[in-house]
Amino acid sequence: MDIAVIEPGVIPTDNVAPDALKGIVRQQTNPKRWEAANWAPFAVAAASADIELLVQPGIIGTFSTDAGGTAYGMPHAVVIACSAGQISGLLKLAQQFHVPVTVRGGGLTTEGESVAFGGVLLDMTGMSRVLSVDKNKLIVRTQAGIFWHSLAESLRRYDLDYLSAPLNLTSSVGGSLGVGGIDVNSPRLGCSADQAISLQVVTPTGDIVECSDTQNTQLFQRVILGYGQFGVITEATLKVRPYTPLRMHYFYYSSLRTAIEDLQLLDAGDAADYSGILTMMDKVVNLLVAFDSDEREATFMASWRGRLRGHGEAAFTLLMGLHYGLRPWLWREALWLRERKRQLFPEFRRPEHIRNGLMHDRTVVFSRAVWKFWGSRQMVIPDIATSTEKFVDAVEQGNAVCRKYFGHYTLYCVGIRLREDHRQHYEMSCIPPDATTHAYGCEFEPMLENAVYSRDTLQSFKNDIYDIGVKLGGSYYRFGGMMKGYIRRVFGDAVVDRHLAMKREADPGMILNRNVIF
Amino acid sequence: MTAERNSIYGAEACSGCSLCLLVCPVWRSTFDIRLTPHGRAKALQHGATAFDVADSIDTCTLCGACEPVCPEEIALVDMVLALRRDLASTMPDRVGNAVVQLQQGVDSNSTTALSAYPTVLLADSALSEQPQLLQTVLALFSHEQAGLAADSGADIALALEAGASVPEERLNRFLAPLRTVRRMIVCDGVLLRALRDWLPRTRIDSLGEAASSLAGVRARLRPDDFYVIESRAYHADRERLVAHYDQLRVSSGCMMNLDLQRLAIPTTASHQWMPEKRRVDPADQARWILEGRVVARVVVEDCRDIAVFQRVAPYPVLHVAQLGDAR
Repeated sequence: MDIAVIEPGVIPTDNVAPDALKGIVRQQTNPKRWEAANWAPFAVAAASADIELLVQPGIIGTFSTDAGGTAYGMPHAVVIACSAGQISGLLKLAQQFHVPVTVRGGGLTTEGESVAFGGVLLDMTGMSRVLSVDKNKLIVRTQAGIFWHSLAESLRRYDLDYLSAPLNLTSSVGGSLGVGGIDVNSPRLGCSADQAISLQVVTPTGDIVECSDTQNTQLFQRVILGYGQFGVITEATLKVRPYTPLRMHYFYYSSLRTAIEDLQLLDAGDAADYSGILTMMDKVVNLLVAFDSDEREATFMASWRGRLRGHGEAAFTLLMGLHYGLRPWLWREALWLRERKRQLFPEFRRPEHIRNGLMHDRTVVFSRAVWKFWGSRQMVIPDIATSTEKFVDAVEQGNAVCRKYFGHYTLYCVGIRLREDHRQHYEMSCIPPDATTHAYGCEFEPMLENAVYSRDTLQSFKNDIYDIGVKLGGSYYRFGGMMKGYIRRVFGDAVVDRHLAMKREADPGMILNRNVIF
Repeated sequence: MTAERNSIYGAEACSGCSLCLLVCPVWRSTFDIRLTPHGRAKALQHGATAFDVADSIDTCTLCGACEPVCPEEIALVDMVLALRRDLASTMPDRVGNAVVQLQQGVDSNSTTALSAYPTVLLADSALSEQPQLLQTVLALFSHEQAGLAADSGADIALALEAGASVPEERLNRFLAPLRTVRRMIVCDGVLLRALRDWLPRTRIDSLGEAASSLAGVRARLRPDDFYVIESRAYHADRERLVAHYDQLRVSSGCMMNLDLQRLAIPTTASHQWMPEKRRVDPADQARWILEGRVVARVVVEDCRDIAVFQRVAPYPVLHVAQLGDAR
């Protein structure tokens, strides 16, 4: 069979569309490895420019996959980032010799976006220093390879905290600004990408440029939520805020729809500082609500608590007992839920993080639980982002897909407050185009539980989830890498072609993160 | 080929989550993933040998902070020690200094009959070199009739850290008098780990835990004190000790060198092996530990940290045992 050669930057026919391969199980594979046409002269030039190319199998193997663990690829060399100047030199040479460069922060992608299929892998964690903290102006300047948690460690010395960041300790600042970054305070404070005031970016042609909403605006718009297509973020100036521990409340539901309606009710009314939904399948739906201050908590209890239809833990346990007591054929499920609760709940109540009823260091608490109870060498987390109005339907349909494929799973839902002045940032991103004040996202997280699933099965699951997004006119957090077959279906030819043209202009050699989007 | 080699030292379980980087002092100093548990494990998964990762394992400070955060529960300290042992078995010159000390050893005949003491203190080499402080430590536990072990096992501790093999005869000579002891207070974190394996029925506490458990010491800790936990012993038993130190922090109001994950930020001053390979400056670590803190006094568990903090802190630095002096 002849396989057509596809020039980089040309998006081929969508081979994962439902009607693309009649009667054939849809599958997606790793991109073809770059053939290293100009590697030798590139390596010589890099050595002359004092750019160290690490080629030992051990260091190359360190980056052979990402958090998803389903895409595997090897770079020809790894470069540990140390300065904007070094990256500038690297990208200039990469353009000259047409060598692909894949940029990696925490490597928490799941579709191979931070995996290099040949060429250079640029490890941004080498640039992890906090450069300055201004407690009066509530601003921090940091190198962009830093993990959010390391930034939090520095900020806490001054009783400060970042605004919002993924509930994962090893997400990097640059990576989150490039794709979004969602926290349980995103319904109020927006996504991580919206907290950037200005950035230092190395463009694909090697220029070092400072950009913001008022300076080099177009570059700023493209780099924020730009999936690494238009530059390497090397430094970021971010808004920060005074640190506060959380006053946590949990409400339990047995209906996804009811819980989501209550979540959206709270978000629309700005009733809580933090909110989100975390489930055990669709049986135990936990609406998490938290506050930065006693005043906000008191207002919630007086004005909003009575409007929520969820139960406290004791009442819900009783209801579940009655539910399963009358349905002995579901006792196996009940036992699993009970065991899951027994393992999970103490992790959210560890005494060293709870003081006088307040939760300290929420990201540590949540991230520890995430890695302990959801993390493994393989993670599949398809998602859907929609407008407020479409969200319940999207989650219910996605839930049905989860049930079809897996015995156990978790759903994580959270809202994202949008900034009207950042509309340009949102184009061709995880923010759905029809969302107004808030967008909503749901991650569908199957628990693989040491079972062995073929990659085709996992891909089919992801396709079934993403097909819902196409049908509803939504978007996705993870539309790159192995899922990029959906890009034209979701965003449409006009938008994609416009961005492709911008990409070609900014990156003539199409060398930067070439397997992610285009 | 050893069993450890067959299982690539436990590295096969590493999922590459990078959580160990967040707490690794070597990574904080270098931002070089090759010198971290993550980098070592991934290199081993991709065919690297102990020789290939020699630089990485020599720079490890054995602070142990990576172990409690590893979601795969890999024995990361043991991994480094096993790699060092394998390197030493093929390159004996690496551990020459440690072997010399072992050969010189300590004559157990000079050891007082330890069974006479309910509690025995095993001083490390640094404490042994400070007789006045050593007497202060002993005085702190005088109510328990604590005795000092003449054979502190400091040579064994160095050998363990270096990866040198400890002759069976030397080990037996060290352990024999300790087998009758009910409680041991051990200064060296690496030796403490090993002793818990060798003498599982004996109560073995670190000096820091033992001292900070005393009411007299706790009562003298002040809210403007900065208390520096010795990291090796703490991380070896973190799940239990996190509650101990949390309680100490709450009752005294003092600050501690605990990060947001409640791991102890080490100065790494206790890292004695291969100083030429050292990549972490203890003074830099001490500056980071104190950054942004308003402190009146520093209280340390590891006597090596006294000098480190005296270099960077413009306020008094004292050993935790010295808090008991005022009685």
